[in-house]
Amino acid sequence: MNDDTLHAIATAPDLRELQALRVRLLGKKGELTEALKSLGALPPAERRARGAALHERKRAVEAALEARKAALERAELDARLAAERLDLTLPGERVPAGAHHLLTQVTHRLLDVFASLGYEVVVGPELEDDRHNFGALNFPPDHPARDTQDTFWTTDGRLLRTHTSPMQVRYMESHEPPFRVVVPGRVFRNEAVDATHEAQFHQLEALVVGERITMADLKGAITEMATALLGAGTRTRLLPTYFPFVEPGAEFAIWWRHPKTGREEWLELGGCGMVHPRVFEAVGYEGVTGFAFGFGIERLAMVSYQVSDIRDLFRGDLRLLEQFRGVA
Amino acid sequence: MRVPYGWLGELVAGLPPVEETADLLAGLGLGVEAILRVPGAPQGVRVVAVLAVEPVAGALQRVEIDDGGQRRTVACAAPNVRVGMRAAYAPPGTRLPGGQGVLEVREVGGVRSEGMLCSPRELGIFEHAAGLLALGDDAPVGAELAELWPADDVIELELTPNRADAFSLLGVARDVAAKLGTALRHPAAGLEAAVGDPSIADGLEVRVADPERCPRFSLRRVDGVRVGPSPAWLQRRLALLGLRPRNVVVDVTNLVTFELGQPSHAYDLEALEGGVLEVRRAAPGERLITLNDDELELDPEDLVIATPDPEGGSRAIGLAGVIGGRDDSVRVATTSVAVEVASFAPIGVRRTGKRHKLVTDARIRFERGVDPALPLLANARVTALLAQLAGGRPHPGVRWVADPAPAAPAIAFRPSQVGFLVDVEVAAEAQRRHLERLGCGVDVEAPDRWRVTPPTWRADLELEVDLVEEVARLHGYEHIGSTHPQLAFVPPATDPTHRRLRERLVGAGMVEAIGYVFTGADDLARARVPEARVRLSEPQGIERAVLRTSLLPGLLGVARLNRDAARLALFEVGHVFLDDEEERLGLLWRGHGAASGWRPPQGHDVYAAKGVLESLAEGLGANLTMRPAGFEDLHPGVSAEVAWEGAPVGRFGRLHPEVAAAWGCGDVVVAELRLPLEARPPRLRELPRQPFAERDLAVVLPVDVAYAELAARCAAAAGPRLVESFPFDVYQGPQVQPGHKSVALRFRFRHPDRALTDAEVDADMGAIMAALRDAGYAWRT
Repeated sequence: MNDDTLHAIATAPDLRELQALRVRLLGKKGELTEALKSLGALPPAERRARGAALHERKRAVEAALEARKAALERAELDARLAAERLDLTLPGERVPAGAHHLLTQVTHRLLDVFASLGYEVVVGPELEDDRHNFGALNFPPDHPARDTQDTFWTTDGRLLRTHTSPMQVRYMESHEPPFRVVVPGRVFRNEAVDATHEAQFHQLEALVVGERITMADLKGAITEMATALLGAGTRTRLLPTYFPFVEPGAEFAIWWRHPKTGREEWLELGGCGMVHPRVFEAVGYEGVTGFAFGFGIERLAMVSYQVSDIRDLFRGDLRLLEQFRGVA
Repeated sequence: MRVPYGWLGELVAGLPPVEETADLLAGLGLGVEAILRVPGAPQGVRVVAVLAVEPVAGALQRVEIDDGGQRRTVACAAPNVRVGMRAAYAPPGTRLPGGQGVLEVREVGGVRSEGMLCSPRELGIFEHAAGLLALGDDAPVGAELAELWPADDVIELELTPNRADAFSLLGVARDVAAKLGTALRHPAAGLEAAVGDPSIADGLEVRVADPERCPRFSLRRVDGVRVGPSPAWLQRRLALLGLRPRNVVVDVTNLVTFELGQPSHAYDLEALEGGVLEVRRAAPGERLITLNDDELELDPEDLVIATPDPEGGSRAIGLAGVIGGRDDSVRVATTSVAVEVASFAPIGVRRTGKRHKLVTDARIRFERGVDPALPLLANARVTALLAQLAGGRPHPGVRWVADPAPAAPAIAFRPSQVGFLVDVEVAAEAQRRHLERLGCGVDVEAPDRWRVTPPTWRADLELEVDLVEEVARLHGYEHIGSTHPQLAFVPPATDPTHRRLRERLVGAGMVEAIGYVFTGADDLARARVPEARVRLSEPQGIERAVLRTSLLPGLLGVARLNRDAARLALFEVGHVFLDDEEERLGLLWRGHGAASGWRPPQGHDVYAAKGVLESLAEGLGANLTMRPAGFEDLHPGVSAEVAWEGAPVGRFGRLHPEVAAAWGCGDVVVAELRLPLEARPPRLRELPRQPFAERDLAVVLPVDVAYAELAARCAAAAGPRLVESFPFDVYQGPQVQPGHKSVALRFRFRHPDRALTDAEVDADMGAIMAALRDAGYAWRT
């Protein structure tokens, strides 16, 4: 036994060689093992001296083996890691994210607001009859109020609904007050199409009916919605106007900062008012009051996301649709 | 409706500045579209008298003028230049609008022109370029035109259809004065709505054959009328309203239409046969040439103004309440006119206007309802103006054919309703003041029981709630607070907009599109989907004439539009219109699925698309199966009927190559499913405590046997211990006989309570193999 042994351990080329050395030295029949076994045959004095030296030697060998093992393992790991190296700056492999249509996103955001305020969401047909779209909503036949809603009539005498308000009638015909409902949906106007007018667009309409609902409740509901959309301290404004199915009637606006110009101004959003007594009469309600308000989704979406041409929303150009990927 | 601010200020005492007035109007519900700054006549332009006109060549004339001190010469090609007329003259050095620079002395066709005579367009005061501005004799020669024709602001209102009364300066002024609490100066103040002395013969006769459609009709003769240009103030007023001045007679009737809200018409007496005017229904096939030179074929439902025909019978000379005829128009030579001011029933006027697609100032007012108290007053106003401005001598009596106007019924009104409905406190005394200022009669029977009689000009006030709005409107909506009602209502948790479905599809990489419900019959045919059931009666073009019967044509159009996009995964949720209106989900895939661009793509074929639907079903806890079935629009070998929870809901497959070629949309996979696709509420199953035993088997069977059939056969044969089976390899090639395929299946068996023995599993496998052998299938070992 000499320092050649320790040298051999320190320079063992791999773990297999190192294991062979361990067996040769410390195995059952290893050189050191055998030497330690032979200690018993020595006289006590010599045995003690020799024993101490052998144990010292064994510890040195063990330490050298461990050190070399650790070094070899590290080298092996380093080699593997080097071989497994990947360029993570290359693009990943994926299914591209899908996207809700911008109008769906805006609608869902509004419906979340209304859900948090305790409204039920209801939807209705797009192909309607005169009674639900006009008659029961206090648009008399041959009244100029009908001119404000240019109508697509079908050859069989039906019509594409000009607003979501027919659902007021449908809901009240089949439910009893009190309730809070909100109606999103597609509506149609036979108007010349340009960058800000489409023959089809979307509205959202809220209807609340109870024993004593007031116009202040209406303003409160609009303010709550505006606050949920734009944050605390949002102001709203009502101005008198006319819709046949409400009285008193109003248009409402929200004070906001225009995202493009940065100017603070009134955003005229939609119409509202107290449900007209003749509408309650048409659905057989008595002794209740209620409010309704509604507005166009496209307008809110277009000013919020700076869409300049409403027709782009319905063309299906992927370059536009994809821009709203991942927008919640 | 345009409201010249200066004019409004003459009617309302103490009118605030124009911006404040606009806010006031908006607060009253008279919607303000814009405030227009309308310039006056350019500085330096003067009123001149034309002294001599000498033709030079063609239309060119040498014109001598007196500019109030000097005689000057100008070149002029206007057809209406006449000796003695008052015209507008721009001397050299004048800067006219339109950016032509400063006028200079120049030679025109041999005439040395010191400046020019101007048309209204050249002056920038109204849109007319076919002749010179012709002024009335009252315009002083040499005067600065800008002093007669100054700038003004015009408030443009967008009126709602209920406010018939506001289609006049008088109506707008009434609202503003009521809000301000100031005095109203009535434009017809001092005039009487009276019939006068009809006993003196005026040579006129009125025959009203349809008093229901024409409840009031007044006609008054005015002689000695000089038909010339109107004075500058009147022309300017019409120009500010957006009208073109014509001659003093027409201008006066137009002015009164806008001033009082009552349309009127002046007939050349020469055009009335025997001085007779008839109001009757049109005869079938009767024709009328309007003063716009349109020839109309009349309908027996149309009400016409007519006069006897010299050859017997009667001929229409105007469409009652809508438009006058060409042949009765007042001409320069006219000296005697008959002024008609009548009431026409709204619905009849509206139907006639719609039938002939005529929107006129008269129709707009009559179809909304004109104050029934106005005809005689307006007639007095028109004839007084003709006397004042055109030298006319009104006849002492007025022909008046009228049913007594029914008095508007009083409305029972509880002032407490304002607090109840609007939730603002307005004292009873203030409410009474608001209503009276609006012209209502208020009779207080008890503190909370009033009888309110609306004025004749507010036919829109019918119900108590209408009066509540009037009070709230005058009090101001800005006083309404914000409150939150307590309602005993808990909304049910429903998902009618299919949010969960949409979210899962977006999660699977699908992009949502929204298309049109309108389409063309051609597109439906080209996509091989059902023919249209619903057609529009007045569509916006042939390609938008019918309602869609499928969502797929729209998606194919999107695929064509995005033909450069290698990868496309689209969906749409929308309504289709068959015998019933249905809500559907349409899907379309093209190109690759997961991809990086630099490694070979994962196949995005029909199975990847099917996987999206399977994930959707899995996510909603529902069971989705497909059964091979043929559809006209799909590839015959790659199409299936889709069942959701066992019920057929639609189709899935590769688009038929002929349809794909017709659309230029590329090779796409499509699906269309009926909504709602119900989600099954999750239910917890007991966790299995035993491991399963697995066996594999590669079955060889004819290629046209569906996997679903093989799986069903195995499941039926195996019994309850088979809990799951699925294919892990499908092979077709030299290893199996031609016309056959090998489907490698993995079976999993389990007993709920104990471990299965090999013998038990072998027995189940034996049963499966026996069933397969009976079916004529083999297996590979």
